[in-house]
Amino acid sequence: MAIVYSSLVYLGYILIFPGFLFCFVAGMLITGIDRKIVAKMQKRVGPPILQPMYDFFKLMGKETIIPAAANKTVFLAAPIVGLAAMVVIQLFIPVISTPILYGTADLIVILYLLLIPALAEIYGGSASGSPYAGVGLSREMVTIIACELPLVLIFLSVAKTVGNAMGTGLCFSLSDIAAYQAANGSLMLKASMIPAAIAMLLVIPGETGNHPFDAAEAETEICEGMLAEYSGAPLGIYKLTHAIKTFTLTALFVALFLGGIGTGIVLLDALIEFAICVVLTIIFISLVHAVTARLKIEQLFKYYWTAVSTIALISLVLAWFGM
Amino acid sequence: MFKNLITESTAKSPWLFHINSGSCNGCDIELVAVLTPRYDAERFGFKLAGSPRHADIVVVSGPLTQQSLPRTLRAISQVPEPRCIVTIGSCPQSGNVFKGSYSVMAPLSKYVHVDVAVAGCTPKPEAIMDGLVQATEILKEKRKAWLEAKKNGLKDGPKAETEQEVPAAEDVPASGEEVQQ
Repeated sequence: MAIVYSSLVYLGYILIFPGFLFCFVAGMLITGIDRKIVAKMQKRVGPPILQPMYDFFKLMGKETIIPAAANKTVFLAAPIVGLAAMVVIQLFIPVISTPILYGTADLIVILYLLLIPALAEIYGGSASGSPYAGVGLSREMVTIIACELPLVLIFLSVAKTVGNAMGTGLCFSLSDIAAYQAANGSLMLKASMIPAAIAMLLVIPGETGNHPFDAAEAETEICEGMLAEYSGAPLGIYKLTHAIKTFTLTALFVALFLGGIGTGIVLLDALIEFAICVVLTIIFISLVHAVTARLKIEQLFKYYWTAVSTIALISLVLAWFGM
Repeated sequence: MFKNLITESTAKSPWLFHINSGSCNGCDIELVAVLTPRYDAERFGFKLAGSPRHADIVVVSGPLTQQSLPRTLRAISQVPEPRCIVTIGSCPQSGNVFKGSYSVMAPLSKYVHVDVAVAGCTPKPEAIMDGLVQATEILKEKRKAWLEAKKNGLKDGPKAETEQEVPAAEDVPASGEEVQQ
């Protein structure tokens, strides 16, 4: 009986609160707000804030065409795998205080889980047999590699700072990081962590494939790359995964650098988290989108491996010397 | 449960795919003007899609030259149902000043069912916008008709009365045919 009950509770976690439904609403709203803000910055009226929801439900009702050259199983399974991985990350991220799933190496698990949606897109794209997808997936791989190095450096510097304080060397546990921040104030307030926080904010648009870094999905150039052959429900699921990714990464930023500001009431904390995510999205995704043009893939790579990595490295060095 | 939501969304999120079938670029510029801040079609949810597979509305401009006609029809057939076809300008409707030329195959309505035809050389952005918004209503009707047909036992919904004979095109390979699910 207890097993049935606890599995039901976990199902609730996965499907409703920090899981699917919450992610769905938060991700869609954040994307909608992003589109609206970009439109306002370009002096347009812009789409309604619920526009991504309309897009999603419309795609659910469309016909799904499978190209003759495609591998049907991989083509249809890839979007679902990507979405599932994206939802699982949300279970690891504490809503201000405690996460649902936790262990000793949450950050490393998250690092791997963050890769899965992008890899699923690569698998799905290559299974579709389209040359546009071929170009797109090669660029997507470069984007992943470009964003991975600064992300690892950021995670390491956070882990080292918290680990120093806890006396455990490196601390990859997000619940410990949250506990440390609740006791000692947000990591954002530590001088040595400010470069890492800035680097993280610069990584977010690249990781989500937003505007200046969207060479992999350049819709005017290579027909949205890996998504070129997708139509109907699978395309909708990819769009949903993208929306959730924006929310997840900003929520991860909140968990890493702005922890310890919670009230203890879960719903209120979720609202606070969502509000901070919206502010971060507006400043670091919408504003950047509105004022920049698309970078070439080698420019993107160079930017992340030199500028952003250097900023992250400063933090890591400071953390290593215990500052 | 979601059927009504999906039907409503169909009219609110129409993505465009633009095919230039030998147009003089006049109508194409006007279509781009529709998307600019001044007219801002995005407030109705319009978005220019890169691939025909993402599109709901196919926008065709130009007098359909002999070379572009089979390709236009192929691109149209790659758009998933429910879909709408909107022609911009007088060219796809009648051939306009190019009528009578050996290489002009207009009108488009000889080959596929055209839902909305915006006339003019070139039509004003307001007219194009009006045509596109009318097309969204037609999309919704098509979705309803499709649901109705599904209820009456037609598994794949009504195939539009569009699929007519495509003129022979030796240089377009037939290997790219789609398996429709």
